[in-house]
Amino acid sequence: MSDNHKVIGRSVPRIDGPEKVTGAAKYTGDLKFPNMLYGKILTSPHAHARILSIDTSAAERLPGVKAVITHKDVPTLKYGLSPARWDESIFCSDKVRFVGDKVAAVACLDEDTCYRALKLIKVEYEVLPAALDFLHAMDEGQPQVHEEYARNINTEIHQEFGDVEKALAEAHHVRTDTFVGQRTYQSPIEPHSAISMWDGEKLTIYSSTQSPHYFQHYIAREFDMPMGDVRIIKPYLGGGFGGKLEPTGLEFAGAVLAKLTGRPVRTFYDRAEMFAHNRGRHAQYMEITTGVDKDGKILAAKANFIMDGGAYTSLGIASAYYAGALLPLTYEFDNYQFDMFRVYTNLPACGAQRGHGAPQPKYAFESHLDNVAADLGIDPMDIRIINARRPNTVTPNDFRVNSCKIKECLERVRVMSGWDEKKKNLPHGRGIGVATGSFVTGAGYPIYRTDLPHAAAFIKVCEDGTAATLYTGSVDIGQGSDTVLCQMAAEAMGYRYEQMKIVAADTEITPLDFGAYASRQTYMSGAAVKQAGEEVKRQILDMASSMLGLPADDLDCGDGMIFSKSRGGKSLTFEEVARKHFVLRGPLLGRGSYTPPKLGGSFKGAAVGTSPAYSFGAQVGEVAIDEETGEISVVGIWDVHDCGKVINPRLLHGQVHGALYMGMGEAVWEEVLFDDKGRIKNAELANYRLLTAVDMPPITSEVVDSYEPSGPWGVKEVGEGATNPTLGMFSNAIFDAMGVRVNSLPLSYEKVWRALKEKREREEAAQREQDARREAQGRRADAQRETDPALPPLYANPA
Amino acid sequence: MYVPDFEYHAPKSVAEACAILAELGDRATVLAGGTDVLHKMKVGKLAPEHLVSLKHLDELRDIREEPGRVVIGALASHNQIYTSRLLQRRYLSLPMAAHTMASNQICNLGTVGGNIVNGVPSADLPPILIALNASIRLTSAHGERTMPLEDFFHGSAQTRIEQGEILTEIEIPDQASTGSTYLKFGLRRSGALAVAAAAVSVQVAGETLHGVRIVLASAAPTVIRVTGAERSLVGRRIDDDLLAEAGYLAAQASSPRDSIRGSAEYRRNLVEVLTKRALRKAIDEGHA
Ligand SMILES: Cc1cc2nc3c(=O)[nH]c(=O)nc-3n(C[C@H](O)[C@H](O)[C@H](O)COP(=O)(O)OP(=O)(O)OC[C@H]3O[C@@H](n4cnc5c(N)ncnc54)[C@H](O)[C@@H]3O)c2cc1C
Repeated sequence: MSDNHKVIGRSVPRIDGPEKVTGAAKYTGDLKFPNMLYGKILTSPHAHARILSIDTSAAERLPGVKAVITHKDVPTLKYGLSPARWDESIFCSDKVRFVGDKVAAVACLDEDTCYRALKLIKVEYEVLPAALDFLHAMDEGQPQVHEEYARNINTEIHQEFGDVEKALAEAHHVRTDTFVGQRTYQSPIEPHSAISMWDGEKLTIYSSTQSPHYFQHYIAREFDMPMGDVRIIKPYLGGGFGGKLEPTGLEFAGAVLAKLTGRPVRTFYDRAEMFAHNRGRHAQYMEITTGVDKDGKILAAKANFIMDGGAYTSLGIASAYYAGALLPLTYEFDNYQFDMFRVYTNLPACGAQRGHGAPQPKYAFESHLDNVAADLGIDPMDIRIINARRPNTVTPNDFRVNSCKIKECLERVRVMSGWDEKKKNLPHGRGIGVATGSFVTGAGYPIYRTDLPHAAAFIKVCEDGTAATLYTGSVDIGQGSDTVLCQMAAEAMGYRYEQMKIVAADTEITPLDFGAYASRQTYMSGAAVKQAGEEVKRQILDMASSMLGLPADDLDCGDGMIFSKSRGGKSLTFEEVARKHFVLRGPLLGRGSYTPPKLGGSFKGAAVGTSPAYSFGAQVGEVAIDEETGEISVVGIWDVHDCGKVINPRLLHGQVHGALYMGMGEAVWEEVLFDDKGRIKNAELANYRLLTAVDMPPITSEVVDSYEPSGPWGVKEVGEGATNPTLGMFSNAIFDAMGVRVNSLPLSYEKVWRALKEKREREEAAQREQDARREAQGRRADAQRETDPALPPLYANPA
Repeated sequence: MYVPDFEYHAPKSVAEACAILAELGDRATVLAGGTDVLHKMKVGKLAPEHLVSLKHLDELRDIREEPGRVVIGALASHNQIYTSRLLQRRYLSLPMAAHTMASNQICNLGTVGGNIVNGVPSADLPPILIALNASIRLTSAHGERTMPLEDFFHGSAQTRIEQGEILTEIEIPDQASTGSTYLKFGLRRSGALAVAAAAVSVQVAGETLHGVRIVLASAAPTVIRVTGAERSLVGRRIDDDLLAEAGYLAAQASSPRDSIRGSAEYRRNLVEVLTKRALRKAIDEGHA
C-alpha cells in the first residue's frame, strides 16, 4: 500500500492500554458515589402468567430498604428500540411474558439487603400456558404473548426482486435445503450496570452502554424530559457485541429509585440476569432455494425464514430485515425472494448480536451453496469465484456496492490455505471448507427517525500546542475506536498520535454520535473526526502562512511539523504555530460531522441494510474429526478481508480474531438451552460453553489492498463482518470431512457423531440390501444358467 | 448473587475442628476450597448456619511418600497435585487428571478432599484414585476410620461420610500395576466437566493382562467400577479386539442419563470409546 500517511496505517499502542492492563481503568460497576444505594430488579419466575397482586409491604419494612417500586410508581409509556414496535414496559402490570420479565425493584443500603428485600415481595401469579416453540407459535390456538399481535406475528416480510419463478423454471439445477440456527448470547465479560442520580430536574446516568445517544433519547422520551436534561456517561466498557445497545430496566428503574430516594442508585445484572435480559442471536428456521445454470452461476435465490423473537421486539425488526437483506451481497444474482416471520414466544427477547441478522442466514446459504456445488461436481472455491460480486454493482434489493474485492479475497485465501492441495489430499476424517461474508459499514439510517447527523466531533488544541483533545460521542466498547479515532485526528491535523487525548461518550461534553453498532465508527465517526482535524490543520497552515510569509497552499503539516512544499528549508513546529494562534486568534478548535447520503430503494423495508460501503471477506477452515466421538479439532483458519484502508493493523487483526472466536462458538459450542417451563438451563459460564484461549486454533489473517472511495482515507468495516463467514465455513469443513451434513446449529460433537453413525448405518443397510439383491440375482442367474448355458459366468469382484 | 448469612469458624487443629463439628451437628458444613460449597449457597441449594473452614489445617496439605504408600492430604489443591514432583514420578496419571479440571483459578482453590466428599459422579479425581486402589482416612471427635475410596460412594451423589467427620488424607498403596490413565471427554479444552470419563490401571506382564481396574465417571449416578469388563481382560492376551470388547462391556454396565452435556446414548458410546482408549494408553505408556 503506497501512501505517505504518518499516523494511520500503523499499529500504534492502544490509548487505553496502560489503564486496562494495570487494572486502573474504572468500569461503571467500579464507580462509587457518596450515599450511593444499591438497586435490584425482581423478575418473573414464570414464562407466562397473569399478575394477580403484588404486596411490597414486608419488603418496605425491612431495615436498610429505601424504596420499593412496581408498575404503579413508574411511567406506563411503552418503550423499545425499534420504533415500529414499542412493546416493553418498565415493569409488567397485567402479565409477565418470560422468565426474567421485570416486576418490581428495590433500592437498599447494600447488595445483600436487596436480595433479602426481593424475597419479601409477594407476587401472586396465575400461570398461563406459554408459547415456547417458535416453529409453532403462529399456529391456531397457541397462547398469545401480546394480545394486540395476532398469531404471535411480530414482523412479517415479503419481498421479491426480479422474477424468481421464471428464473427457477429456466435453471439447469434447482435445490432446496433447510437449516436451523440456535439462540446464542453475546456474553460480554462486563455485566451490565448503571448508576443513576438526579440534580434537581437533571438526570445523570453512568451506564455500560454501546450508545449514549440512544439511551439519552429513549430515557428523555420515557420520562418526558428535554434531552438536554438527560446526561449519559459511558465509563470504560467491557464488551457489548450488540447486547448493550438499548436502555434496560437498569436505567429506567434506577432513575425512578434515584428520584424517590434522592440518592445515587447503582443497578446491575449478574450473569444469570444478563442471560435473561438477553438481546442475543435469534433462533431461526431457514429454507433456501437456488437455481443455477450448468456452470454453477446462481440465477435466482429464495429465502424463507422464521425467527424466534422472544417476548419483545428489541431491535428484532431490523434483525428480521437484515437476515434477508444482506444475503445477496457476496454473490451476484438478479432474482431474489425473501419471506420472513419474526414471531413472539414466551422466552427472553432477542436482538442484535455481532453480525446482526446475517451470520445464520449466511451459514444456511453457504452450506446450501456447497450442496449445490457437490450436486454439480464443482469445487466449492470455484462456485464462489464464479458468483463473486464485482465492484460498482447494485444488489437486487438496491444496495450500491462501491469497492468490492471478494473475488481477490477468495483467490488469496485459496493460496494461503493450500486449498487445492488439501482438497485432493486430506486424509480420512479431515476436511476443509470455505465461506464468504459481507457487512454494512454503518447503517444508512438511524434506529429512530431523525435528520440529525450520524456522527460529530470536536478537536481542541491545548493553548501551547503540546496536546490536542478529541471530543467524540463514539463509544469504545473494547474494540479500540478511541485509539483509531485519535490516529485519524492526528493524521488529519498533521499532528502526532502520542500527543492526542480523548474525551468520549458523555452526552453533555461530547458531540452527538450514534455509537457502537452496525460497524459504523471507524467510517462514520472517522469521517467527522477527519473533518474536524482538517479544520484544525487549515487554521494552523493559515497561521503559519503569516508567520513564514508564505502562501498557505504551499504549506503542509505532518507529524507535528509545518513546512513549505515547494522550497523545504525553514519549518515551524505545530506547537509554536498553535500557541501563536491561541494568542492572536483565540482557541484553536476543529469541528466535523457526518451524514450519509440518501441510500437504498423505495420498497417497504428498503432502508434496512443500506450502507455507504460494504466489507467483504472469505474464510477457510480445516478440521479433524474424531469419528468415534464426533469431537472436532480445528487445525487452522485462514481469513482474508476486504475492509478498505487499514488504520491500525493490530487492532484490525484483533477484530478478526475476536469475530472468529465468537463465530466459532456459535458454530460448534454455544447454545442457550431452555427447559419445558421456559427457564434457561445454562445461564452461567460453566455450561454455556464460550471457548477458551486454549481452544483457539492457529489463525492467519490477511487483508487485500483495498480502498473505499466514499470513506475517510478509504476505510470500511471489519468488526462484525468477520463473524459472518465462520458458521458456514465450519459447516462446510465438517461436511467435507464426513461426507454428511448436519443441518442445525450448533454443529456439536454429539450431532456430528450421530450424523456419522446414521451414515454408517445407512451404508450398512444399503450394503445388506445390495448383498441380498446380488444373492437373489445369483440364484435367478443360476436357475437361468441351468436352462441357458450361453450366459457368461458371474464374478465376485467384477473388474 | 446472594450468599445467605452464616457463622464462620476457622479452627486451628483437626481436633478443634472435630470438636466444633461434633457440637454443631447438622447445622454445620465443612468448607475447604469452597468451590462447590459457595456455588451451592449462591444458587440456593445449600444454606448452612455455620461454615467450618479447614484453611488453617496446614498439616492436611502435604503430599508425601511413606514406606508402602503415598499419602495425599485432603486439603491438597488440584494445582498442588498437578505440580507435585512426587506424584508425577510415581503416578503421573493423577497429576494429569488434576490438569483436566476447571480453570487455573479454581485449581488453586479446589481441594482433592472437597472433590471426593462433594460426591458427584462427574468429579475428576475419584476415578483415577479408585483405579489406583486408594483408601481414605476419616476423623471425627469419636476417632478415626479408613475405607477403600471405592466403597465411599453410593446411590445418587451420596457418600458414606458421617456427620462430624473430616476427610484427612488419601492413601495410594504401593502396587503391582504397570500403568494407569484417566481419559476425560469434555466439550471444550478447559473449564469443562466430563461428559463421560474412564480411569484404568493395568498390570501387564509380557503380552498378558494380569490385573485391571476400570472406573467410570459421569456414566452412572455415582462413580462406578466395572468389574465385568475387568474380568473379561484378566489373563487374556492383549489385542485391539479384546480392548474393544472390554469397552463394550463397560458401556453395557454404565447407566448414564440424558443431561445438558449429552444424551444417554452418546455418553454410553463415549464410555465404550474412552475405556478402550484408556486401556491402550495405560498398556503402552505406563502411568500417563
Ligand atoms: C468453575 C468451576 C469449575 C469446576 N470444574 C471442575 C472439574 O473440571 N472437575 C471437577 O471434578 N470438579 C470441578 N469443579 C468442582 C470443584 O471445584 C471440585 O469438586 C473441588 O475439588 C471441590 O473442592 P473444594 O475444596 O473447593 O470443596 P468445597 O466446596 O470446600 O467442599 C465440597 C464438599 O466437600 C465437603 N468437604 C470438603 N473438604 C472436606 C474435608 N476435608 N472433610 C470433609 N468434608 C469436606 C464440603 O463440606 C462440601 O460438601 C468446578 C467448580 C467450579 C466452580
